[in-house]
Formats: sequence, C-alpha cells, structure tokens
Amino acid sequence: MISLKIQNAEVFSISQIPFLEKKEFFDSLIKELDNGLRMIGFFPPDPALPQRLVAILSDSRTSFIHIIGGILDKREFESLSSRFPQVFNFECELFENYGFLPLNHPHLSPVRKENLNGNQPYAFYQIQSNEIHEVAVGPIHAGVIEPGHFRFQCHGEQVHHLEIRLGYQHRGIESLILKASPSKKILLSESIAGDTVIGHAYAHCQAVESLSETQISLRAQTIRSIAEELERTAMHISSLGGMSNDIGLAIASSSYGRLRTLVINSLAELCGSRYGRGLFVYGGVRFDFSKEILKTILSNLKTVFQDIAEIHKFLFSSVGSCVRFEKTGVVSKEKAEAMGLTGQAARSSGIGLDTRIQHPYGAYRYFPVLLNSLSSGDVFARAFLRTLEIEESMKFIFEQVDSLPEGRIKSEISSLPPDCAVVSMTEGFRGEIVHSAWTDKKGALMQYKIKDPSFNNWLGLSLAMEKTAISDFPLCNKSFDLSYAGHDL
Amino acid sequence: MILDAIKLRILQGDPIVHNVKNAVFPKRFRGLPVIQDKDCPENCRQCLEICPNQALSLNPLTLDLGKCSLCGQCAEICPQSIIDFSNDYHLAVNKRENLFISKSIKKIAPEKASQLIKKYFGQSLKLRQVSAGGCNGCELELNALSNVNFDMGRYGVEFTASPRHADGIVITGPITRNMAKALEIAYNALPSPKIIILMGVCAISGGVFQDSKEIQRQFFETHKIDLYMPGCPTHPLTFINGLLDFFEKKE
Repeated sequence: MISLKIQNAEVFSISQIPFLEKKEFFDSLIKELDNGLRMIGFFPPDPALPQRLVAILSDSRTSFIHIIGGILDKREFESLSSRFPQVFNFECELFENYGFLPLNHPHLSPVRKENLNGNQPYAFYQIQSNEIHEVAVGPIHAGVIEPGHFRFQCHGEQVHHLEIRLGYQHRGIESLILKASPSKKILLSESIAGDTVIGHAYAHCQAVESLSETQISLRAQTIRSIAEELERTAMHISSLGGMSNDIGLAIASSSYGRLRTLVINSLAELCGSRYGRGLFVYGGVRFDFSKEILKTILSNLKTVFQDIAEIHKFLFSSVGSCVRFEKTGVVSKEKAEAMGLTGQAARSSGIGLDTRIQHPYGAYRYFPVLLNSLSSGDVFARAFLRTLEIEESMKFIFEQVDSLPEGRIKSEISSLPPDCAVVSMTEGFRGEIVHSAWTDKKGALMQYKIKDPSFNNWLGLSLAMEKTAISDFPLCNKSFDLSYAGHDL
Repeated sequence: MILDAIKLRILQGDPIVHNVKNAVFPKRFRGLPVIQDKDCPENCRQCLEICPNQALSLNPLTLDLGKCSLCGQCAEICPQSIIDFSNDYHLAVNKRENLFISKSIKKIAPEKASQLIKKYFGQSLKLRQVSAGGCNGCELELNALSNVNFDMGRYGVEFTASPRHADGIVITGPITRNMAKALEIAYNALPSPKIIILMGVCAISGGVFQDSKEIQRQFFETHKIDLYMPGCPTHPLTFINGLLDFFEKKE
C-alpha cells in the first residue's frame, strides 16, 4: 500500500505524495477502503495538471490521514460507489466540478447544479408501479428554512425512497476563497454555514496557520475551544427545541429556545456576534475574556445547566415523545458505516467517530473530551445523544474557564510556503469538518476543498426515511439537523 | 406530567425583551458605525484594504452599511480611531442611499410608511421568507424572532407557510443562480399589494459573495425594495424595530 500518512493539520510537501498509475491508484484506494478507512476528499489538487487526482482518507484507529495520488490517462474511471457507497457523493462531485466520469456509477446525479449535462434535464430516481405515488417538496419549504428539494417515492404513507437534491444555496465559496484577501477568506469561511461559524472558521484558520507554521498560544487555543463548545451547546439546544416543536411539545420547545438565547448571547459577550462572527483571526483570536465577561457568561451558563436538566426530564419522560422518537427513522450501524456517516449522526448509530478524539487539534490535545455514543440509530438516539453532548461541552467550558492559561491571544503569521498542502479537520456540532488547502509554486492557494459533515449525512437522512412514514419526515429531518448551505458551499 | 409542565413554565420566568427600543446589548456588539469628524492621514488606505466587502470609500470617508458585514476590522486597524462601531442596533432604513454612513450621520431610521401602506399593512402583517443562498445565519435570527425572548407575534407580525397568505416577502441571501427562479415564482404568488424586505447584507448587496459568479441579482432590476435590514446576520431587535418604525406601530 503506497500512501502518504500525515496527521490532522500537518503540513506536507506535494512532492511527498506518490502519484501512482491508474490501476495501482485504484487498487490501493480499494484496499484502504476495505480496511475501514473513510473517504474525506477526492479531487484534483492542481488545476494545471487536471489528470492528477488525490484521495484523502481518514483512519480513526490510528489517527492518521492517508493521501493517495493517481495519474489518469483519461478523465474516466470505474466507479467504486456500488462497492463503497460512501464514495457516491464524492464521485458525483468529481464529475460535476472537474469532468471525471465514473463509469457504471449506480445513479450519477448533480450535486449542486440543476442538470447533469448542460441543459439535459436530470431524471429523478423513480419506482414504476401503479400503486406508488411521488411527492415533491421544495426548494421553498413551509417554514423559515433553507432551500432544498425532496422527492419521495411512497406506497401509501410509507416512504420507499427519498432523493434529496440540493445546490440552491451554492455561492461558489471554494473558488472565491482562492483569490480573496486574508480578512475576506476568514469572513467567507465564517459564511460557509451560519450555524457553524466557529467550526468552519477554526478549520480554515488552522489550515492557514499550519501551512505558515504559526504557533498559536495556549490561551488563544483555549478561547477557540470554549467558543466551539458554546456553539455546539447552542446548536444542540436549538435542534432539541426543533424536535420538541415537531412533536407539538410547545413548553419544551420554548424552554429550549430561551436557553439557546442565553448561550448565543454569551458568545456575543465574547466577540460581539451571537454566532461567533469576528472571533477568529490568523494567529489566534481577536477578543479576550475579561473578568466581567467571564462573570456574565458563567452566570448564563449556570442557568442553562440547571434548567436544561428539567427540560430534558420533561421531554424524555413524556409518552408522546417516546412514541414519536423511538424506532423512528432507524439507521443501522452497518448502513451508517457503509455510507460513511460522520459526527453526531454516526455516533447515534453506534460508531464512535469524533474528530476531537481521533484527530485531536488545538486545546483538545491537552484537555480531551469524552466520547458519547448510542447504538439504536433512531430519532431517540439522535435526540438523547445531544443531551449527553451538551453536558460534556458545558463541563469542558466550566473546566477551561476556571483555569484559563495566561498569554497573548494573537501571534504574527508569515507567508505560505510553495508546493505544500494541509488537511485541517475540526469537529463542528454536526460532525467532522475538513478543509484542505494546496499552494502552488509561488505559495498562493491553488486548490481549496471544503467538506461539511452534511455532505456525508444527507444520504443518512435518505436512509433513515426508508420504510418510514412520510409524516415522520419533518421529525427525522430535524433529528439530523443538517446544513444546506454547508453542503452547497 | 402537568406538574412538570407548570414547573417548566415557572422556570421560564419573564424572559421577554420588554423594552425593544432601548435594549441592553453586550459591550462588544457591533452596531451602527460612527465616523469621527477627523481627517484621515494622507494616503492612508488601511481600512479600505482590510475591508472584506469593499464597503468603504474615501473623500469623504464613507461606510456603506449595505455592504458591511460588521466584522469591525476597519475600526481595529484605523490609526486615528476614526471609525468605530457603536452599540446602536437601530439599522433599518427604507432607502438604499440612507445606508451610506459618513461623519455627519449619527443615527439612521426608516422614513414613515405612506398612509396607504399603513392602511394595508399597519395592523397585522404576514410575511413569507425566502432563503436565496444565504448561510442560514439570517434564517436563525428570523426563527429567533418567534421565540419567547423576542416574540414578534405580539406586534401582529408573523411568518406564513404559503406565499398566498402573505403581505410581504423577506429575502435573505445574495440570490444564487439556482434560487433566482424559485424566488421570482414565490414573489409572484404573493397577492398584491405586497412589500419586499431585504434582510442581511448578502440580500442588500451580495455582501461577501458580491463577486461570485454563482449569484444572479436581476430580481432587483424590476422590483422596488421597501425595507432594508442590514447586519450579518441582522439582529432580531434590528428587524423588530425596523418594522415598528416603518409602520409606526405601537410598542
């Protein structure tokens, strides 16, 4: 097996990657995937050499990231999706963005565009039968939510197949980021998904800082992690509120809403924005804790910590919620593994994946968090896991705030080295975020790839809907709480 | 069960923001920019260079709030501290040109709506939101408007599921190519008369995405905008106050 093994946020020179012949490349890729590695990237790293491909795989057992390079004579290859469903979306993206044709792909579909080939309209997957009916929803939905299109194949109430078409939020962030000024790069990374501002800004800053070999003070790293845990807490509370609302438990929903306000207002105390915008800068953070701010944040969080236990108790002891949550939208561990689900959705199906633990970065290298996971894979697991993760995050914040390391919060950053690359991973509240930056011979960015956890997990939602009543769709959707913007970029 | 529900209700206490006009904001919140009556050092372009959205222009120094993401980096870098961001969250206006902040401007507000607009929309206002390529930030804040803290429903303003039931449309996001058609269809489905509200800097000017090839803003060539709500994302209280001021609703 020939591959380059690196760690999270470790810089490597592009010349270190062994670029293999086509057959050898796919043989090693298949071998690695057979060994249980997860694909986290599949793209041509250099636009000037469009026949070259790299596959980035993560190994959760050894904490290594494997990079395999390949040179293709023609821009087509035999699809791996039937054997490794986790590659499905990556292959579609490769075709859409760079024109690599995966031959015998089970269902080649657009990822962010309307049609597959120019103006030829895209044909949805359809089950042919007199008894099957089709339900089409979106892109505009009933509530204040992002746009996406859902196509259900139903038999009566039961869903047999759900196809999810996204791309309505596609703003072209990956190409914008290449040419942007440093301050704009950070703002763009904050705008990948407005609910994962910290997660994405962290991954982006970490990528640039690793490339330029900038040391971040422990204090800045700790502030970053505290902010990240605040974001996780807030968005998990938000999801629980949404799920309570979907089953009609108004008092639980409004109580969660009140607590979320306290958490995001704490972020605003720190950096002025309720979603953590403006906190990150290359080399550290722009804002420091003061005694006064810490006091306000701690008092907010103490209220949250006390009250949330009561709301959890109310929600999870209600018969109504048990009936709706349990055994609804089940994703088995086998399926979740095959589809390459990540983060919160994977942990709800018994897969112990957490970037903070397997690929530790920043303050998590010194102050580890506990891994939580549940095995039932249903809406209940995805809801209850959030309660456990909120508790863990809040404990982390309380501990760190108590013993904040001294030091400055920002270091100077130098320029980027030529012909180097880095894979930077962080754990957003939905799961693993991967930013991968590649520089050309002048030290300018030539490729920037972003993978939001939603890129993997939307397929998980499709799986969860199989043999589930269509009336349970809103609840299942909320239990995954995926990002449209993060997928569409 | 019912006792637990009552307990939760007691825990809620009184979380609502009563005084929406003069709410207390975190000290670091970046609201209305203030430009001091001072001359810039000669050839200084630091703020222009650091601004990610090209929101600043010189002679005289002017900040376009319709492009500004309120990141505050211009204020940080200014050697003379000429630019600063105040805590003032009253940012809504009804004319695009009123979003240009120069040194004489200390406060902005929408002009009062005409009698006709007030007659139609002054009492109850139902809005349909369309997310046209945003990042979900503004959508989060719109959803926060219906929570127990901001409770916009108390002013008779609510979001509807169908555009057919709506009096106005709230647009978030820079309008991507992929959403342009859907937005137009949704807008046409609203019965007339109808108003258009732009929420967030992306909707107003494209914001950080203004140079993207993937956005398509022809919608604005044919439609008149009634209210601009700047911010990134727009704070819920900015939104509420914008509506209250425009329609002269009672607090």
